[in-house]
Amino acid sequence: MSLLKPFSKLPGLNSANILLVESKEEFQQSLADALVQETAFTVNVRLAKSLPLPMENEESRPRIDLVAFIIDLTSELSFQSTEASLKCLDPGYFLGKVCFMVTNARNAAAPIERLDAVRKLAASLHCPLLFTEDQTPDGVTNATERLLTILKVAAGLVPMATALYLSNLTRSTVSPDIDQPSFD
Amino acid sequence: MAATLSLSGSPGLDPSSSSDQSVSSRSNNRSLRVAEKERKKNEAEDPFVLALKYFSDVEAGTPVHGNDEVEKNMVMVEKVAYMKGLSPEAISIMLEFAMSLRMGTTLCARVLKCLIPATVVPQEAVVRAVVWLGIGKIPISTRILFIKWVLTVFDMIDAKDQLRAIYGFIFSYVTEENLFPFICHLLYLLTRKESVRVFRVRKLLELQSRLGRQPFLLSLLSLYKVFCPELVTLSISSRIKSGFRNHNMPWKSALIAVQKRNGSQVATSISLASAIKTNPRKRKHCHLELPVLSSVVSKEAQTDPSSSRKVVPLVQLHSFAHILENMHRIELPAQMGSLLGSSLALQYLDCVQDESALLRLNFWLGHALHEEFLFCGDGGASQNSEEALQFLNTLLSTQHFLQEGFSCSEAFLYKFLSVWDGSLLRPQILGLLSNIPVVPSSQIRRLLFEPLMQLFFTSSLFFKCGLMECLNNMLLKWLTWHSVYALEDDLDISLNSHTSINMTLSRFKDSVMELVDFVGQLASLSLQLEGCHSLLLSFILDFYETVCDTFLKYGLPLVVMPTPGVFYPALFATDPVSVDRLAYIMYRYKVNLTSAKSQEKLTEVKAFHISRQTFREFNHYAVVMVNCLWNSNMFQPDMGVQLGEELLLKSNVPQYWTSFDLIHHPAFMSYAVDFHQRCWPERKDMDLNSIKHSKPWSWYLEYLFSQGYDGLKQFVQSNISRPLTAAGGHVDRQDDGHVDRQDNGHVDGQGDRQDNGQDDGLSTLQR
Repeated sequence: MSLLKPFSKLPGLNSANILLVESKEEFQQSLADALVQETAFTVNVRLAKSLPLPMENEESRPRIDLVAFIIDLTSELSFQSTEASLKCLDPGYFLGKVCFMVTNARNAAAPIERLDAVRKLAASLHCPLLFTEDQTPDGVTNATERLLTILKVAAGLVPMATALYLSNLTRSTVSPDIDQPSFD
Repeated sequence: MAATLSLSGSPGLDPSSSSDQSVSSRSNNRSLRVAEKERKKNEAEDPFVLALKYFSDVEAGTPVHGNDEVEKNMVMVEKVAYMKGLSPEAISIMLEFAMSLRMGTTLCARVLKCLIPATVVPQEAVVRAVVWLGIGKIPISTRILFIKWVLTVFDMIDAKDQLRAIYGFIFSYVTEENLFPFICHLLYLLTRKESVRVFRVRKLLELQSRLGRQPFLLSLLSLYKVFCPELVTLSISSRIKSGFRNHNMPWKSALIAVQKRNGSQVATSISLASAIKTNPRKRKHCHLELPVLSSVVSKEAQTDPSSSRKVVPLVQLHSFAHILENMHRIELPAQMGSLLGSSLALQYLDCVQDESALLRLNFWLGHALHEEFLFCGDGGASQNSEEALQFLNTLLSTQHFLQEGFSCSEAFLYKFLSVWDGSLLRPQILGLLSNIPVVPSSQIRRLLFEPLMQLFFTSSLFFKCGLMECLNNMLLKWLTWHSVYALEDDLDISLNSHTSINMTLSRFKDSVMELVDFVGQLASLSLQLEGCHSLLLSFILDFYETVCDTFLKYGLPLVVMPTPGVFYPALFATDPVSVDRLAYIMYRYKVNLTSAKSQEKLTEVKAFHISRQTFREFNHYAVVMVNCLWNSNMFQPDMGVQLGEELLLKSNVPQYWTSFDLIHHPAFMSYAVDFHQRCWPERKDMDLNSIKHSKPWSWYLEYLFSQGYDGLKQFVQSNISRPLTAAGGHVDRQDDGHVDRQDNGHVDGQGDRQDNGQDDGLSTLQR
């Protein structure tokens, strides 16, 4: 099985490559359209339904700086597909080059256990967990900005900051039940 | 009997009047009589009146099936009900008819569904209907429908004293499992302190052990606890997820329509949907809109002289003077959410400190917030953002008015932060966040800092600035709260307020320290990641302007120095305003520290003791700043910024030690050049070093200060003593930047610790 490796190729000049993995293939399209509007540097967006990526493109594919998994909390398939895809990533990616994006977190239809499971997954892998509102254009713009913030660091375009450094600051934590904080 | 309108004039004759008057009055009276007869005849023939007569007179046991007459009358009543609502008498009649089951059970539900009141609901009718409820023949679903109806029109019931009198009777229905949630809601609205009895509490607790911790049961128990805490020993968390749901489904739209047609405003017990609803999809629970505090209840029904207590509902009071007059007998509406829109009501609430009212308000608010923002039907796609925005804005202005937040909004915010994307309703959420009360330091990291940190470092520059401002406001509010509520002369100060947070002074200081440290951490890291962006720096310096004055302005005995990650970027910033603000902040620190030191000496109170470490830090910063800006003596070995000599030489910068003084600093160089040109307009070569001579130097300083750099001015004046000398020549400008810490060195009795040279009178820095 071919793993996606983070450092096996050389980076491009003033550019960043991001891979969006989503089993539903809805949100990633609008995200991609917004991402390529960035003008400060060149953003190349690659879309995938799941990993592993097809072997045919192996040579032409540039170095992927950031892999973003999009999970829809209302569908169990989305979560399972993400879990399966994670196995196809080289461990080097988990030093700050992976992030999880979650949609529909405020939906009443999303079971709480699934959100907890996603949180646990992100915390155990030391990756940031971003919540997004994919239904409104403002939400999409905001999600794009947040991805770009992480992407810039992951691609090495921010001086004195590495992906590992940023991941230390942004990694998700699993907090105990916040329903009953007791103030004594 | 059928409703008759009260006659306006009396047609009685007065025989003792004079003849021509009596003739005219007789004829007048006769025409009145005739008109009245006409009217009575018309009324008697009015189909609606006839229908009501039918329903009040119909015999028990009359069959329904195939009975055209009852169908016709029913349709008539329904038509009138949906058109303009039923008058109080009509409601009495129809309710009596329905609940007595005179014509069987099928019609009962139908009648209940069309009972739309036009003005008020007579209390007696409701009481009688409750009596009929107990007879036992009404099917369960209809009973539930009846209770739901009572809840829906609760605010339109003209008086509640009779209902309260039968509290026990209503309470006995809690044993019926199907009715239980609704009965709880009704009891919740009717409970007074007198109603809380031991046997009732015991009953409820027994039910709880059987049915579990249901939210409606818990709400009722907490209300009981509020009234009589000694009777309810159950520990109830103040963060109950949801109180009561809205039960107004079948009547809501009809009620709104009727009341709109009547021109009066909508009752407070209904949360209405605005008529201009652009969203085609019907929402199940439209409880976001604030119910309107209004005067649906007509004035006549209220001033019933037979009611001795004469409570005045809050809706009727329109000015502060009114409230003051009626302070002792104001009755709060059933729908507490309606108070949020009216500042008068809020003033009353704040003054009276009615715990049960606050509890109810919190329940409703928490429920509304949760339903709308946390458990949306479809993940927010059809979320009517205008509504949501308005709601939150009203909530914000309420909190601003009351000068404190609600506990339910605090709980909601912690949950919301953990699923927030950072941009949805950002100004409102940040506004609400700045209103939360002091969080104990053991919880603050988990509840607040961790989610904020995850949002902060992945978001754009503008979010970072917004969050900085929010945390600054939060700190300001905490400090203000402390300065208002802290009592003097107490070592362990209990900060009491009606937000029911009791905190000792030391714990409060801990929380403030945590907040300042957290912001310092966020600031230094973000400045580095954003390349010392000046907008971000400006917000950060705002925060430190609050922090530097905690002692003098807010009376909190705490001084926290800025982190190096903030100090140095501000000192070397390329825009002069940042440097000026930093100078101002350093000046304020010096004033605070000297005043604190003198107070400590004066009062000899051990509680307030500024650590040696703080003084050392301040001295260090002050020395660095003066060396850098004034003495042109950068890159000394004991400074914060250390660069090796060879490296500096390699850079080929001539006289690198002067590179950040007031003349060569990138922020001020333009001023130096400008000054040079004005001072020596005839010179061709620019030699900035010539400004350093004593006379041009003082002129240059004046020039700088005149450009509005007051911070620099105050810093220079307080830290640098310049001996005034008339003669020209080289004046040794020594700096006096440090604050002497020597005097208190022995108070602790920690043995003789040599104060090192830093705390002593500083050696003069020679050039």
